[in-house]
Amino acid sequence: MKNFKTLAYPYIVWSAALIVLPMLLIVVYAFTKEGNSVINIQFTFDNFARFFSDKVFFDVLKRSLYIAVMTTVVCILLGYPFAYIIAQMKPRSQVVMVFIVTIPTWINMLVRTYAWRGMLDKSGIINSLLGLMGIGPVRLLETGFAVILGMVYNFLPFMILQIYNSLSKMDYSYIEAASDLGADRVQTFLKIVLPLSIPGVISGITLVFLPAVSSFFIPKLLGGGKYVLIGNVIENQFLTSGDWGFGSAISLIMAVIIIISMHITKKLDRDPSKEGGNI
Amino acid sequence: MKKLLALLLSGAFIMTGCGGGGSEAIEKVPGFEGQTLKLYNWGEYIGENVISDFEEKYDVTVVSEYFDSNEMMYTKISAGDTYDVLVPSDYMIERLIKEDMLQPIDKSKIPNIANLTEGVRNLSYDPDNTYSVPYFWGTVGLVYNKTKVPTEKIEAEGYNILKDTEYKGNIYIYDSERDAFMTGFKALGYSMNTENEDEINAAYQWLEDINNTMEPAYVTDEVIDGMANGNKDIAVVYSGDAAYILSQNSDMDYCEPKEGSNLWSDAMVIPKNAENPELAHEFMNYILSYGPSKDNSMTVGYASSNDQVLKELSSEGGAYYQNSAYLPRTNYEKDEIFHDNETLRKRLSELWIKVKAE
Repeated sequence: MKNFKTLAYPYIVWSAALIVLPMLLIVVYAFTKEGNSVINIQFTFDNFARFFSDKVFFDVLKRSLYIAVMTTVVCILLGYPFAYIIAQMKPRSQVVMVFIVTIPTWINMLVRTYAWRGMLDKSGIINSLLGLMGIGPVRLLETGFAVILGMVYNFLPFMILQIYNSLSKMDYSYIEAASDLGADRVQTFLKIVLPLSIPGVISGITLVFLPAVSSFFIPKLLGGGKYVLIGNVIENQFLTSGDWGFGSAISLIMAVIIIISMHITKKLDRDPSKEGGNI
Repeated sequence: MKKLLALLLSGAFIMTGCGGGGSEAIEKVPGFEGQTLKLYNWGEYIGENVISDFEEKYDVTVVSEYFDSNEMMYTKISAGDTYDVLVPSDYMIERLIKEDMLQPIDKSKIPNIANLTEGVRNLSYDPDNTYSVPYFWGTVGLVYNKTKVPTEKIEAEGYNILKDTEYKGNIYIYDSERDAFMTGFKALGYSMNTENEDEINAAYQWLEDINNTMEPAYVTDEVIDGMANGNKDIAVVYSGDAAYILSQNSDMDYCEPKEGSNLWSDAMVIPKNAENPELAHEFMNYILSYGPSKDNSMTVGYASSNDQVLKELSSEGGAYYQNSAYLPRTNYEKDEIFHDNETLRKRLSELWIKVKAE
């Protein structure tokens, strides 16, 4: 075993250079400002004070969390039944269905989001169809609906695959045992299938919520620039304002939020597995 | 984003086997065989065959990278990336000169500088072309749908038509603090280079009003397809993009508001750390010659810095004859050039986020 350990060293160097070092740089930028002619940089809390003293940034944060939560909820509501249906199919059909779900992820996210612009726009395919039915052009693009739609569309495969994985690994004899003992289908689902699939739902939430809360180009393209999320503010600080200190401070705040939410989901994950041991 | 679409389109062209037709035999220029030129330009900002012809003519390789804002370009340059030719805008060139990041141009190596048109001569950020050679130029104005917005009305109201609730939900605002605040400052009769805090706040309020009453969409390159497809009635657009929109959709027209506009220009410069300044000079000279200038302007729609091309394309028989957006307005006293001002830039950036985030 000792020999294998040395194989991990390149990976340690890799993660130190590409993950730890950039994180440290963000921390340094977040807590410093350009000093006077004697000292080059100075320690400061200004960047954080600015974030928490301005209501606008708090609103942006709230909006980001709201959109991410909505996206996650819709993804569970759509993804769970879908994954359940796939898991019930014959093994060969399952392979095909999983394949179909993953196909969209082969195409770049940006391209797919751009395609939605064309479909949702006033002269787009959806409004043309509505026009044929005599319904006047409806404003679909540049609305909150479009943002959520784009997010759900992009992140749904991650949710479906995670839930499907945990459902397909489930031991079918539990379900047989439940019906032998007189449980009806609803009871079997609620007491057996759902608890056993919770780990899949949890990892699905992690894979959907985290990218959703920090995404910036979907709201930018589909929300008409009005759905400014925290990712947009960070992008703006680095690329337009050139205020790296403030941008880093917001990134750090985001990182803390993400760590907290990962911690919560981990906790949620632990409990059902204990129950699972009792079954 | 346009770059991406272009990439997809070019992919489609290759697949259907109808790539741009080869041009006639190119006269070779010796002395640069096997060398490389690194070009950092705006996305979708160069003619179809310009690069490939240059590569053939000099037997060199051109490595192109693209940016979509001056600030993005600046971030990369100041992080130490090296390029031979950049194409920034006026105020950014001013900043690069101030920060001593550009090298002076040897004008004896660019004889085609004599081809520059009147509108791009003597520009205040670099009057003698010590550091820069103009590439494209233009104004910022309003593209509008003639069938929905009467021409007399938009000419009378200028930028304030963006507050006319008749067009609620039907306007595009350009998503950049500089251009958005330019419309605000001009609508209120101020200079777009003001540092007066009251004027800045008034312009902020003006934009805020639009945001709260007009349901505008804030877009950048998406405005081109949006207006070409007639999705909205009024849009704030760069004149070159407007020329393209007008050529695609005959319902659209262009108005340079009477309150004034931003007279801008993008120019080629050579950064201090360029690895091949010799070839960079050749490239600049080549771009200013008739053929490549024409290809650029025909493909992209922006006003050429080459006098002959500009006149040919805008006169009878030219591709932009009677296209009201192609030829930029000159010598109008209310038109201004944007100057580099760090305090103003930071202030506007901060306020613009607030406008959009409300």
